[in-house]
Amino acid sequence: MTSGTLTPPRKERTAPAAPRPGRSSRRRPFLAPYLFIAPFYVVFAAFGLYPLVFALQLSFTDWKGAGAANFIGLENYTYLLTSEEFWSSLGNSAVMWLLIVPVQIVGGLAAAVLLANARLRLRGMFRVAFIAPFVTPLVAMAQVWIVAFDTDYGLVNHLFNLVGLPDVDWLQSTAWAKPTLALLFLWKTTGFAIIILLAGLQAVPADVYEAAALDGASRKRQFWSLTLPLVRRSIAFLVVVQTLAVFQMFAEPFVVTQGGPYGSTSTGGLYLYNHILASDLGTGAANSFLLVLLVFALSLLSVRLLRSRDE
Amino acid sequence: MSRSFVPRRSVLRGALGVGALAATAGPLAACAPGSSGSEPRKLTGTPSASAKGEITIWNRSGDLFKVFDAAIDAFRKAYPDIKVNHQAVDIDAKLANTLISGTDLPDGSFWDDAKIGGQAEHLYDLTDLIAPYRDKTSAYKLSVNTVDGRIYGVPWDLDPGLLWYREDLLEDAGVDPAGLKTYDDLLAAARSLREKNPKARPLHMEKDPFLGQLWLEMLAGQQGTSLADADGQVRLDSKEYRNVLNWIRDAVDDDLVTHTEYLKQADLAALESGQQALVPWAVWWSFAPQQLLKKGKGKWRAAPLPAWTPGGARSGAMGGSSFIIPAKAKNPELAWLLYEFLCFKEPGYSAVYGPSEVYPGGLTTSVPSYGPARRPDKPLFEPVAALGGQDLWKVAVDAADTIPSAAPIPAWWAKSVDYLGNNLQRLIEGKMAPDDVIDDSTKKIQRNLVDRA
Repeated sequence: MTSGTLTPPRKERTAPAAPRPGRSSRRRPFLAPYLFIAPFYVVFAAFGLYPLVFALQLSFTDWKGAGAANFIGLENYTYLLTSEEFWSSLGNSAVMWLLIVPVQIVGGLAAAVLLANARLRLRGMFRVAFIAPFVTPLVAMAQVWIVAFDTDYGLVNHLFNLVGLPDVDWLQSTAWAKPTLALLFLWKTTGFAIIILLAGLQAVPADVYEAAALDGASRKRQFWSLTLPLVRRSIAFLVVVQTLAVFQMFAEPFVVTQGGPYGSTSTGGLYLYNHILASDLGTGAANSFLLVLLVFALSLLSVRLLRSRDE
Repeated sequence: MSRSFVPRRSVLRGALGVGALAATAGPLAACAPGSSGSEPRKLTGTPSASAKGEITIWNRSGDLFKVFDAAIDAFRKAYPDIKVNHQAVDIDAKLANTLISGTDLPDGSFWDDAKIGGQAEHLYDLTDLIAPYRDKTSAYKLSVNTVDGRIYGVPWDLDPGLLWYREDLLEDAGVDPAGLKTYDDLLAAARSLREKNPKARPLHMEKDPFLGQLWLEMLAGQQGTSLADADGQVRLDSKEYRNVLNWIRDAVDDDLVTHTEYLKQADLAALESGQQALVPWAVWWSFAPQQLLKKGKGKWRAAPLPAWTPGGARSGAMGGSSFIIPAKAKNPELAWLLYEFLCFKEPGYSAVYGPSEVYPGGLTTSVPSYGPARRPDKPLFEPVAALGGQDLWKVAVDAADTIPSAAPIPAWWAKSVDYLGNNLQRLIEGKMAPDDVIDDSTKKIQRNLVDRA
């Protein structure tokens, strides 16, 4: 340790320390994460938050897309809440919900249980078959529906006639138009429900079933006591997502029935669109918020009803 | 409210608002509330024949676009220094939004008469330019293009209502078509046809609510009225509308009606089988025997509509279009030159209505609005072979001359189909009485459309 060569030169020891980082440099490590996430927030603010605030402001005006926007207070809301058509559109959506969501959950769960069975032959083919309508463009499917369910030359009535049944006015009678549209929606989106439920089923550990089998639980008992409670969250998710989709349903009635006959397929989404089409943007915005509130309440209710007691 | 050559629904109605919940109001942000619309501007000066420049003109796609393309070629020859960019555009989806936003506007566009009144503030006032032609232009077409006394569209096609009938079946039933002078005569003829053929339901009544309401307007227009008056107020509660609705009810009660959608399969089947033999409809129904009917081809003929009262008008208009020039157009004077050429100059309207590559016998689905272009002795299109060689031109222009003037079509007309159009269907189905149609439709149109206009 006496060797001078081992001693660092004094000059270096006394060299002035590196300049202390300034305020901006000290902030840099703290700013970096925010800068990384900033693009999302900028885009969200521009295309999510601002339009939301703008629409809220709009809902208190009589703006028609041009000219001055006059503040009219709650007039748009009172107009809608006392409008026969508004309630009728919500009633149509509610009926569609009843025709779609329970059927889809039950049917989707049954299909998912079958597809989860490793012993099922051609499992891959079945999975693709269920998913195919989900990835097919809706407008194309809607056109198929128009042709297939045409009263005069549709395939469905042709099949009915073959077995001696009379023609049915599928898309032009108030009794049948809603079920026919609901069938289109089911055909299109049940593949999505199956994906979600299948993922839920596959997340259940196999040893849970093995233990239940050792305890003597039948397959039926296993389904009711294990499968169903364990996929409850997936079901709750599906109910919320499909409730949103049904109340916002637009493209199906727009392409297939234009809301007819007699407004019987005018859903919440289509009724809202009609305000926008007529440049009645204030009423359209108010309608949006009423729909959002309703869907939010329904989603909350669904989640509460499906929540297990221990959650 | 435009005429259609083929069966159509309202699928052309834009692409706004898919699932439009609150967040989808985003695009609206581009045109913030409070921005004021431009004041309507008056176009007065007529440029000389040596005018130079470039214009963009919007038109519908399809065969009509090709016909106009050929006519615009004739314009180019007359005005070689004007370059015309003729574009096929989905006008129903695009034009209204473009007028409101004021960006990427064409210099002129084809548009439904029904839509012009509602957008007058975004259009050039063409009153002074049309003045020299005004006296000779259809009063009906001028009236639907007039807002507060000013004209905003260059009147283009006139679509007179006619009575289409199966000549052979009427002859078999001993009905003289020339004797169908009133709507009571028409009901009597329908009864005679059914006596001859018990399966016959001779009178067509439209099942599509939009076209049904357009048809109702034709029958009301024949009596000089329309859904809204010049101030945009509903005038459905009138003797004229009661005449029409009671007549429909009588036809329904007597089981004389085939209730089908315009030229859909069921309609075509009823036309071919002879179940339908009387179709009061616009001149554009001529498309059916020419393009769609096989068995009935050559057996259909056209006559003026019956009158509601003896000696009354023998036609009403069903649809129609005009040309507009946006108030913010870059070269409005040149666009006017084009429209003046097409509507009021012989080489222009002849190029559209006369024989062309698309329509070798000429365009038979409407007649010009301008009187000198509509002379019975100077047909623009040829007799129609599919109508047994009948001179449809003469029938159509004679009928067109009798169409009474009306009032501007309110901006909410298409929306009123949800009320009046649907109630008309209920009447035809025997589920609603004429007075209820009037009362319910008036109440709902007033509350939902007029009060909120």
